[in-house]
Amino acid sequence: MSFKGGSRLEKPNVTASTIISFAEKLEEDSAKFYDELAKRYVEGKEIFLSFSEESKKNKTLITRTYQETISDALEACFIEGLNLSEYLTEIRLEEDTSYSDALKMAMELEEKARKFYSDAAEKSESLLATIPSAFRKVAERRNNRKSKLKSLLEGI
Amino acid sequence: MGYVNMVLLEEPIKEAITIKNYIGGEWVESEGELIDVVNPATMKTIAKVPISTKDELDAAVEAAKEAFPEWRRTPPLARARCLFRLKELMEERFEELSRIQTMEHGKTIDESRGETRRGIENVEVATGIPSLMMGYNLEDIAAGIDEYVLYQPLGVFGIIGPFNFPFMVPLWFAPYAVATGNCIIIKPSSEDPISQMKIAELVEEAGFPPGVWNVVNGGRTVVSAMLDHPDIEGICFVGSTPVGRDVVYRRCGETGKRVIAQCGAKNFLLVMPDANLERTIAACMTSFYGNTGQRCLSGANLVIVGEGLNEHEYNAFYSKVVNAFVESASKIRVGYGLDTTVQMGPLRDKSKKERVIGFIEKGIEEGAKLRLDGRNVKLVGDWPHDCFLNPTVFEDVTPDMTIGREEIFGPVASVMRARNLDEAIEMIHSNPYGNAASIFTSSGKWAREFQYRVQCGNIGINIGIVAPMAFFPFGGMKDSFFGVLHGQGREAIRFFTEAKVVIQRWF
Repeated sequence: MSFKGGSRLEKPNVTASTIISFAEKLEEDSAKFYDELAKRYVEGKEIFLSFSEESKKNKTLITRTYQETISDALEACFIEGLNLSEYLTEIRLEEDTSYSDALKMAMELEEKARKFYSDAAEKSESLLATIPSAFRKVAERRNNRKSKLKSLLEGI
Repeated sequence: MGYVNMVLLEEPIKEAITIKNYIGGEWVESEGELIDVVNPATMKTIAKVPISTKDELDAAVEAAKEAFPEWRRTPPLARARCLFRLKELMEERFEELSRIQTMEHGKTIDESRGETRRGIENVEVATGIPSLMMGYNLEDIAAGIDEYVLYQPLGVFGIIGPFNFPFMVPLWFAPYAVATGNCIIIKPSSEDPISQMKIAELVEEAGFPPGVWNVVNGGRTVVSAMLDHPDIEGICFVGSTPVGRDVVYRRCGETGKRVIAQCGAKNFLLVMPDANLERTIAACMTSFYGNTGQRCLSGANLVIVGEGLNEHEYNAFYSKVVNAFVESASKIRVGYGLDTTVQMGPLRDKSKKERVIGFIEKGIEEGAKLRLDGRNVKLVGDWPHDCFLNPTVFEDVTPDMTIGREEIFGPVASVMRARNLDEAIEMIHSNPYGNAASIFTSSGKWAREFQYRVQCGNIGINIGIVAPMAFFPFGGMKDSFFGVLHGQGREAIRFFTEAKVVIQRWF
């Protein structure tokens, strides 16, 4: 299985909708990734399934926040300075990928995702408070996941 | 799972639809001629809209009149519940409604979603009608006598929508009109009528009684019939100043109708020497080029003010602002609004593009310096160029030049010089319009002076687009507004109701 966290983006872009779409796709892909891990590695099944569920909630949170906040009156359409290609993660789960390697891949994904949400929060600070706040919340969740993954790795 | 598939969002309209009128709770085919509604980015026909007849407008007025007595007796809370259901349905269909706006108007998907949100906000505010419509009272105005005021609906209202905000603008009025117990007839712009058809579908689903909310498509015949109809109590109009002032306002005066006529604009944005330049330029980009410059709140004239600077300092400041503005404008990505990376869409149609080009040519002819020529069309994606322009910037524009004076309604910025704040305010006042004006500054003194003196209905302080939220009135002065009360919020509640005074004494 091949997984690209956030997948390929050919050109830099600055619209709010692109950033939101990126986040939505990131959460969709993350959910799929953790579902796959849950199927493969029974040791971490519960945690992986909980991450998958959380990603679905993250997506809902981001979409809802955007839709409830965006307004033609605000400078919501031009968020500059985020190069989304920096947050792409290429993860390849092979047939024989070990549990520990899978955990390392997941940690890498979480770190990139955390950075994306933190940077997005910073760049959107001038918009209505709900937008950076939602990004920060998801960044924190991603950071927590990384800690949990680290514990799993250390427990092997 | 690549972004290649995701960048261009799916179009919700696959085949051209034929639009019907919504009269008395029924979808009625018009006898009028059908004209094409064309997606200005792809140039594909996405709908056919009828140019309805006077008889069809009369039928809608009859339906509204018939529905009025029962609707006005419906408790305000029950009317509010219809609006709650409408809001919920709009939320459920948020994305579809937004994409339709992009298809029928050309704006970017971010702008369409913003428009949907702003429209829904008006429905939300109107759901507060049990509180908003309350009158007031005073006991013992004389011995044993009490006096109170009731706000009562009037009957049937007409709403005439513009092309630039096909979803939102009729909602500046419609929710308040029906919440207060009136019945309405909306005439959407024939250029982009699909949004109002979709809203009417949701109105039907939300369970509004037949005849409360009607939609009659068309052009001048329908507008004319609305203005002259003796059973229409008032008109809400958003559009150009010549039509608003010379046709709608005048005819409403002759026929004794209430009127809100929100019209054209030429908005000035002042940049003071102490402005936060980075934030100012970002705000200016959405102001001048958002909605492709086709909004009455768009920035038109960028005035760089040299208050407190000597000539050398002023020239340096001026160059810094202009260069930053031009650089940002030149980076704006133009294309089909359903591409999520696009920042500016096409003009609504070819004739509007030609009109804007006419202004650009006039600017050159009158001696303005063309810094960025939007006629050199560069697009993201392979789309027909028919309606597209890129951002344009003129320098050395003076207030008496055509491009500095008249409403262009397109992505053209005119940069002007002012030695000080007084001179800049004088420039604003020398223009016949008075819709919006903004100042970018860190000085409370200058900001206060600006808001106090400037004769415009919407004032921005470090704000590029001064769009009032639904719970505030949408202001406008001079040639930008004709009427007394404005759309949205409490003023709309007053517009759609008559104050009745009761004085009572019991023996």
